[in-house]
Amino acid sequence: MEILVYAVMLFVLFNVIMGIASINTWVERKGSALIQDRIGANRAGRYLDSDLLVLKPVLPVIRFLGILGVINTLLCDAVKALFKEDFVPQGVSKFLHALGPFMAVFPVFLAFAIIPLAPEFVLFGEVIRPQLAPLNAGVLFFLAMGSMAVYGVAIAGWAGNNKYSLLGGLRAAAQMISYELAMGLAFVAVIVCYGTLDLYEMVNRQEGVWGVVYQPITFIILFIVGMAETKRGPFDLPEAESELTAGYFTEYSGMKFLLFWLGEFAEIGLFSFLLVLLFFGGWHLPFVDLPEHAWWAALIGHAILMGKVLFFCVLQIVLRWTLPRFRFDQLMKLGWKYLLPLSMINLLVYGALKAGGWLTV
Amino acid sequence: MMILFALLGALVIASAIGVVALRHPIHSALCLVLNLVGVAALYAMLDAHFLSAVQIIVYAGAIMVLVLFVIMLLNIKVEQPHRRGIILTLLATLAGVCFLGILAPLFYRGLRGFTDHSSKIEGTVEAFGELLFTRYLFPFEAASVLIMVAIVGAVMIGKRHQQGGSK
Repeated sequence: MEILVYAVMLFVLFNVIMGIASINTWVERKGSALIQDRIGANRAGRYLDSDLLVLKPVLPVIRFLGILGVINTLLCDAVKALFKEDFVPQGVSKFLHALGPFMAVFPVFLAFAIIPLAPEFVLFGEVIRPQLAPLNAGVLFFLAMGSMAVYGVAIAGWAGNNKYSLLGGLRAAAQMISYELAMGLAFVAVIVCYGTLDLYEMVNRQEGVWGVVYQPITFIILFIVGMAETKRGPFDLPEAESELTAGYFTEYSGMKFLLFWLGEFAEIGLFSFLLVLLFFGGWHLPFVDLPEHAWWAALIGHAILMGKVLFFCVLQIVLRWTLPRFRFDQLMKLGWKYLLPLSMINLLVYGALKAGGWLTV
Repeated sequence: MMILFALLGALVIASAIGVVALRHPIHSALCLVLNLVGVAALYAMLDAHFLSAVQIIVYAGAIMVLVLFVIMLLNIKVEQPHRRGIILTLLATLAGVCFLGILAPLFYRGLRGFTDHSSKIEGTVEAFGELLFTRYLFPFEAASVLIMVAIVGAVMIGKRHQQGGSK
């Protein structure tokens, strides 16, 4: 029974990850077109015609999806990537070259294990908590996976045997290591505030008031750091196409190239999940009281959670296409001279508040 | 459980051998990462989740810096095998055997911990923190002072270098 529950949870979680990654891909393609006053992907599937009786009723739907660019970005690009030549440059370790994209995706997917997807519910007389790994170490596991994700890009950059790749990999590693410090300290402030490491517990503490109300600075730090850790937005120097061709994945093609993107889009979803769970009440909405332990309440809670997560995903993508890229010294300055001291002071303040008993969550 | 332990143990030992046996510095560094992650997995098997997470954050994450140093500072070349003197080899072997002798009783006791679940370690964050701030308070504080001194020292050295360097 327990194994069945876990299997179903794993299936649902995998679909959540892939769904978010797909939606992000589409929003990135079509949204960037909107922002830049282009039309964007709108060809594939638009003129599809068929005499097959099975296809007849869904033809308008497919054509509409084609106009929206969904078929182009999600179906055609994936199939194209699968059939492309898997190019490996000369003079590199083939093993490391293959390990790079794998290591870029694997920690991100693993970190999703600690994400609770909905409130607890009772099914067949058993209380089920839709969280794959209710670890005692909780968010620390996320930090651990974050520090493993650096290896993917660094190995990829090195295994490309190309100066642009190497520079991109080094930039990515320097950037991620620098921002990890501020991220860790911001997480400690959150942990001090809630007095727990478990994400599910943290969401429960926000039933009345959302966490962002009494820790706005922590939220801002984590939001900026999240965008830097996903190597996106104004922080996309590791893949700065005007300087480094494509950065650390210059020498990758086909599915391996797509894996980097999958990891990136999944990471956007992961950070959105964290922001929502830590600061925006997870599945809680103000003035909406869901009954406890009802399966339909869990579904509604899941829908609320996903709605908030998608909002933050779209926000990150819009920011990425709106703000100009930093210079590398500006990036380092922001990380070390502003965010790190700010998160230290932030932690001190919350420690003092907690020790003085003024902060009761 | 025993099979998992055996697999992880084999992984840890194999990667440890890989660190010293592989010719390429990058491969050695990555083997070290694998080794430390394997040790973290062993901690997780003992229900010490906190220690396991910290092991990955602090140790496995920090090897990244080592990898970067290898990429940036060393010539990216396969290390050439060179002959060592006979006395050095003998001394190294002796040191290794002595170290193994010191570790052997610990190893024996540790192995029993994996099979005997009556002596389970309390590995929750709460238990860990309580131990750290009561029984091991002095070593904990001494270590933090040591790290603080190292940080201040690094900043001082970096500053002096900047003043004396290019202007």
